[in-house]
Amino acid sequence: MKKVVSVSLGSSRRDHRVNTVLLGTEFEISRRGTDGDFERALAILRELDGNVDAIGLGGIDLYLYAGRTRYTVNDGLKLLEAVKKTPVVDGSGLKNTLERETAYYLRKHTGLLPPGSKVLMVSAVDRFGMAEALAELGCDMTFGDLIFAAGIPYPIKTVEELEEIAHKTLPEMVKLPFHMLYPTGKKQDTQDEKKVEKFGHYYHQADVIAGDYHLVRRYMPGGLKGQLVITNTTTREDVEFLREKGVGWLVTTTPEYDGRSFGTNVIEAVMVVLLGKSWEDITPEDYLEMMDRLEMKPRVQELGRRP
Amino acid sequence: MATHQEITESLKAFTEGYSKNQRLKAMNRDWDRNVLVLADDIESAHTLVLKDGELSFSEGKTVDPDLTVISNSDTLADMFFGDITPTEPYMNGTLRIIGSEDDILRLDFISLLIWGE
Repeated sequence: MKKVVSVSLGSSRRDHRVNTVLLGTEFEISRRGTDGDFERALAILRELDGNVDAIGLGGIDLYLYAGRTRYTVNDGLKLLEAVKKTPVVDGSGLKNTLERETAYYLRKHTGLLPPGSKVLMVSAVDRFGMAEALAELGCDMTFGDLIFAAGIPYPIKTVEELEEIAHKTLPEMVKLPFHMLYPTGKKQDTQDEKKVEKFGHYYHQADVIAGDYHLVRRYMPGGLKGQLVITNTTTREDVEFLREKGVGWLVTTTPEYDGRSFGTNVIEAVMVVLLGKSWEDITPEDYLEMMDRLEMKPRVQELGRRP
Repeated sequence: MATHQEITESLKAFTEGYSKNQRLKAMNRDWDRNVLVLADDIESAHTLVLKDGELSFSEGKTVDPDLTVISNSDTLADMFFGDITPTEPYMNGTLRIIGSEDDILRLDFISLLIWGE
């Protein structure tokens, strides 16, 4: 039995444990949320180190991207460095491949993402692969990084401008406490009402809303008209939340076990175990091959009818 | 130790850098704020005023600031001249900013968009 644990700065309300068999290997996969408590996350990581087969870091990004340039988030690095023996990943290696493929899959196999679709990416520097793929597919992009992270009502419309602004800001932003950039702990269970009111129209104007679930949720207004949401991790409660807001379709990029989709950090940790390679040696082709062997496809769920 | 005059010059460079940047002006049309800039090692106070996307400054204090930026004179001058970013002094406590977290983050972004790489 291989043990994979996701240690998350997110809410402990989302904790769970499942047993599954993948490519003939038995896995016990569990999640331990620390409600935004950084020190507790460090303690759990030290406790798990050497006692499990792989660790995923959730609720935090280790890396943010501006094109091909990768910036390391200081707080993420502190967590990474607490683990000395066990492979530890944040999902960013897989995310780049998986989310590109999700965009291509939707175009090829569904009618949900026609050219010219108006796409709001609530944040793109944490998933540059998806941003590039959606733009390449001819979507009308709005990158909301400045809007939702900094409260600056400036929609970034091209990947080039996103990259330029990211190059200017990310080298310093990654030094800030992560909670200033991303909702951690209890904040994940609430909405930022001021920003929902001020910036909710960006959601209403979009056909597709894409990005990290906690960010998508935090700023989502009510009264949506059947929009498509492309995101990573959802629970049954999350699906209900989206339905109540008027979301019509939900696409999750990672597989579902026991009624919930897992974060990319968990899936990447599982893949590291299955591949038996160190993280640095794993290539996008390895991820693609593994996705194929695991028959991983985006999960497309209709939540309601488009008007 | 920097002088009051040097801080004034740095704020002049900062506001000029801002004024040349049409994109920044567009970004801040919704954000009217008074920012008090205080040195804690010399007698020096300035007020930055953001209104309708335009940035100006004056010497002296404002009565009711939305944000207060406090640091030693060297750090203030270096920061507004763009020689250092606000992040490091903010993180090590040399720079204190009093205001809402959203406003602090936004001010940081503005500074980086003026002086960033």
